[in-house]
Amino acid sequence: MKVHVDMSICLLHGQCVIAAPEIFSFDDAGGLVWVAEIDEVQAGDAEAASDACPEQAIVLG
Amino acid sequence: MTQDALADDTLPFLDVADPKFSIRSQAVLDARDASWCARTSYGLAALRYDDVQKLLRHPKLRQGSYRWPAHNGVTGLFARWWEAMLLSQEGDTHARLRRMANPAFSPKLISSLIPKFQALANMLIDQFAAKGECDFIADFTEPYATGVICDLLGLPFERWRELADIAGEMGLALGVTFKQDLPTIEAATQRIFDFAEELVAERRARPTEDFIGMLIQANADQDQLSDQELLDMIVLAIFGGIDTTRNQLGLAMATFIETPAQLTLLSERPELGRAAVEEVMRVRPTVTWVTREAVEDFIYNDTLIPAGTTLHLFSQSATSDPEIFPNPGFDITAERKPHFGFGGGTHHCLGHFIARGDMTEALKLLAQRIKNPRFNGPVEWLPDSGNTGAIRMPIAFDPA
Ligand code: HEM
Ligand code: SF4
Repeated sequence: MKVHVDMSICLLHGQCVIAAPEIFSFDDAGGLVWVAEIDEVQAGDAEAASDACPEQAIVLG
Repeated sequence: MTQDALADDTLPFLDVADPKFSIRSQAVLDARDASWCARTSYGLAALRYDDVQKLLRHPKLRQGSYRWPAHNGVTGLFARWWEAMLLSQEGDTHARLRRMANPAFSPKLISSLIPKFQALANMLIDQFAAKGECDFIADFTEPYATGVICDLLGLPFERWRELADIAGEMGLALGVTFKQDLPTIEAATQRIFDFAEELVAERRARPTEDFIGMLIQANADQDQLSDQELLDMIVLAIFGGIDTTRNQLGLAMATFIETPAQLTLLSERPELGRAAVEEVMRVRPTVTWVTREAVEDFIYNDTLIPAGTTLHLFSQSATSDPEIFPNPGFDITAERKPHFGFGGGTHHCLGHFIARGDMTEALKLLAQRIKNPRFNGPVEWLPDSGNTGAIRMPIAFDPA
């Protein structure tokens, strides 16, 4: 499964980092980084993060 | 050299503890022109868009209301709950509680409630539509905001008054007379926990896939969400969802009364309902500021913010900042940068899908069924700071 964040609408709330810390994190400069390609076992976490994102900026495919 | 902000008397001062203080006053606009922050009776206030946005997720700040009961010398049931609940938690505990609560607040679950919100709004409007007048708060926003929580909890609408009364009495804890009102607050807290316990017992006996059902599923693993944390979360949803929504919808009506062409536009183009909610929350957020506290000394904008400083992030002044919003007038068709009416960062409102969904339906239906609304007597307002809104709003209108 592919993970993408639309950075034009992401407001860096960090709700994805709370929901799925293995996929999303903040780098030292405070920017959002994520694992772009995940396996099936992580799909549930990715969906939880996508649901939790207040801006609905996470696209899974 | 960096100055200690609290001692910097070149910074403007705002007396935010004065009940007559208004977050929309000229003093705030002048302060925002002069500086990114002001000194206040409690600490500091951030006034501009970019700073509020950055500070909402600044790692050196924590949510700042957790000490409110201790600050008032209050202990007991309310204080225990307040200090334990999600909003007062940070770091790992906050993240765990939030992860456990997320499924109950997911957009999928909430969108299944939309037809219920529509039915509720129509039922309430039916009761006053023919009269051509109502108290918009007592007759609409209060029963609506509470009815939405009944829908969320899977309770019949008939229980709304009971819930509204409990939430109102518990809400006294946020006021300046916290200590005098303590017996009332403690009794209401006991009632709300009895209520939550009853609800959980019922759903354990007959499992559901709804809001309470989701929380009960999370509670299956006691290390992730204990029985006490489950009840604390249900109480927070009741407490945090009622007055906010009531106030925000009252502010919406006041804004439309002041700019009637926008209401006509919404009645012609109901698809603008969601945009109307966002625009109302930009110009008149009920939560006019959020409170943060510095966990250690840090430097921001060449200013030293000492550990323990209370910082109020002024959502209201940030989203009318002319630097960011050159045409700041109320316009539901304008493309806008995001508002801060639901806060931001780790404590971003957990109930925002519910609030956005229910307010969109309410505004769409009101625009269709109530024409030419106007004030029909004096409006009673809460102070124009902190969590603001109307508590009485007589209106007259032409039935559609
Ligand atoms: C128009 C209605 C609402 C407004 C304006 C609003 C506003 C806010 C704001 C500004 C915060 C952040 C406070 C801070 O950072 O200090 C917040 C947090 C929260 N809200 Fe809302 N809210 C609304 C409706 C709701 C509803 C309907 C619910 C639940 C059913 C809810 C549940 C919560 C919870 C649980 C938090 C704490 C989140 C955390 O600490 O992680 N809210 N809300
Ligand atoms: S939750 Fe959404 S808005 Fe927040 S950081 Fe993650 S992707 Fe961005």
